[in-house]
Amino acid sequence: MTCSAPRLLLQHLTRNVQGLNATLSVAGYKSAVSLDKIYPASDLDVTKLQTPPKTDGLNFSGYVPMNKVQVTYSRSNGPGGQNVNKINTKVDLRLQVTTADWLSPELKERIAKKYKSSITADGFLVVRSDKTRSQQLNLADAMDKLRHMIHTAAYVPPPPSAEDEERARRRHEASVRERLRQKKAHSLLKQGRQIPQWDE
Amino acid sequence: QDEVMTSSGTEKALSLLRRLPRVSIGNLGPNPGAHNEKRRGRGIYGGKTHGAGSGGSGQRQNFMRVGYETGNTPFYLRFSYQTYYKGHHLKLSYTPLCMGKLQMMIDTNRLRCDVPVDVTQLMATGLFSISPQQKEGGFMLENEGIDHFKATINIEVQWANEAVIASVERNGGFITTAYFDPLSLTAAIKPVEFFGRGIAIPRRMLPPQHLIDYYSDPKNRGYLADPAEVARERFLLAQKYGYELPDVNASPNKDILLERKDPRQIFFGLEPGWVVNLKDKVILKPTDPELKEHFAS
Repeated sequence: MTCSAPRLLLQHLTRNVQGLNATLSVAGYKSAVSLDKIYPASDLDVTKLQTPPKTDGLNFSGYVPMNKVQVTYSRSNGPGGQNVNKINTKVDLRLQVTTADWLSPELKERIAKKYKSSITADGFLVVRSDKTRSQQLNLADAMDKLRHMIHTAAYVPPPPSAEDEERARRRHEASVRERLRQKKAHSLLKQGRQIPQWDE
Repeated sequence: QDEVMTSSGTEKALSLLRRLPRVSIGNLGPNPGAHNEKRRGRGIYGGKTHGAGSGGSGQRQNFMRVGYETGNTPFYLRFSYQTYYKGHHLKLSYTPLCMGKLQMMIDTNRLRCDVPVDVTQLMATGLFSISPQQKEGGFMLENEGIDHFKATINIEVQWANEAVIASVERNGGFITTAYFDPLSLTAAIKPVEFFGRGIAIPRRMLPPQHLIDYYSDPKNRGYLADPAEVARERFLLAQKYGYELPDVNASPNKDILLERKDPRQIFFGLEPGWVVNLKDKVILKPTDPELKEHFAS
């Protein structure tokens, strides 16, 4: 029986000593470097429920609710012997874009447009990963790919500044001028090869 | 009896047996080449000089000191130190423990998961040996077998990476990384032997400078990190690795999963300063206020 000696001893003591609380004073041992002294402002609750950050507009928070996403596992391809033949390490992550209420409508539209090729006929955005030999790490990779897709779909490039627009216009005009100059020079060259025609 | 025209080997043997005297020790001998007739080497040529060459101080085995390079400054004196091993005496090594092995120990009842698992519990399985004098710090959990890990466990080790933390937490467990200084580790790995020495349980020392950041980081689930921040990191890791964090409050083993040691505590249920007498089955606690103050500091 792999019960630790101190625990057995404690049990023995608490059973044989009258009138003592089972927890004794050991549960309350606090040294000078206990966590409540290092972090006096904290509630020290490791079970505290975290509120997931919300996604509004095109500002994707990064939060993906796992109950809204379907994950299936299958066997990976490539070399690996018996392990790759038997263990389901490939991850298939599916997300129905139209019914994803945790994404804003404009973001959903942008995803549907940008990742049209990754969306099935039923409207599921499919992300697959068999990058590593571990199912867990492949799922992490698939989540990362999904977040990357949503982030890139949400990204709107900033409009060009007045300086950039002006620079682009001047460059375009310069290239047009040069093209016409070369055309005219070539034309003169060709004319120069003709026998001059003078009216008599 | 038949007379054979060409006598075969068998016939010859049988005829010999008929003619020759009885076999005895006096008329037995070895086959040619059965015994090594080698004599000790003499003379100056061949291998008979026992690899020492012929004559001279070489054969007399009169060598100069090891490393001597016939006058020029030898290699071992040219370079008095090498930078690659700087600080080696401070660096700790950890006993690797794969998640697969941990699961196997739980499945075969070698390790209980209905109590918080720490160094003491892991050493009690009898499968590992740790020597703190050889600068071994304890256990580190490894990636191998994270996919097959299914146990709900409250575990305290000395080193763990992100994937290992994720595999423990996705099954509803809790993982903490804690530092044990060499003296505390010696007590923790062999508690009965330590109690037999009849000295007070020492206070566990805080980590050295190069390790304090690791154990104060909530990402590593360090024992000196703020539990509220650890709660946040648990949520973020669950999002990163794609699982939903099981609710601890709904679990029947809630108090076991949430049990934690004080940073100065070595054993669950025992305070620094106590003397444990296993023979008489009593615990002696200090009464002197100065001692009490010391052990609570």
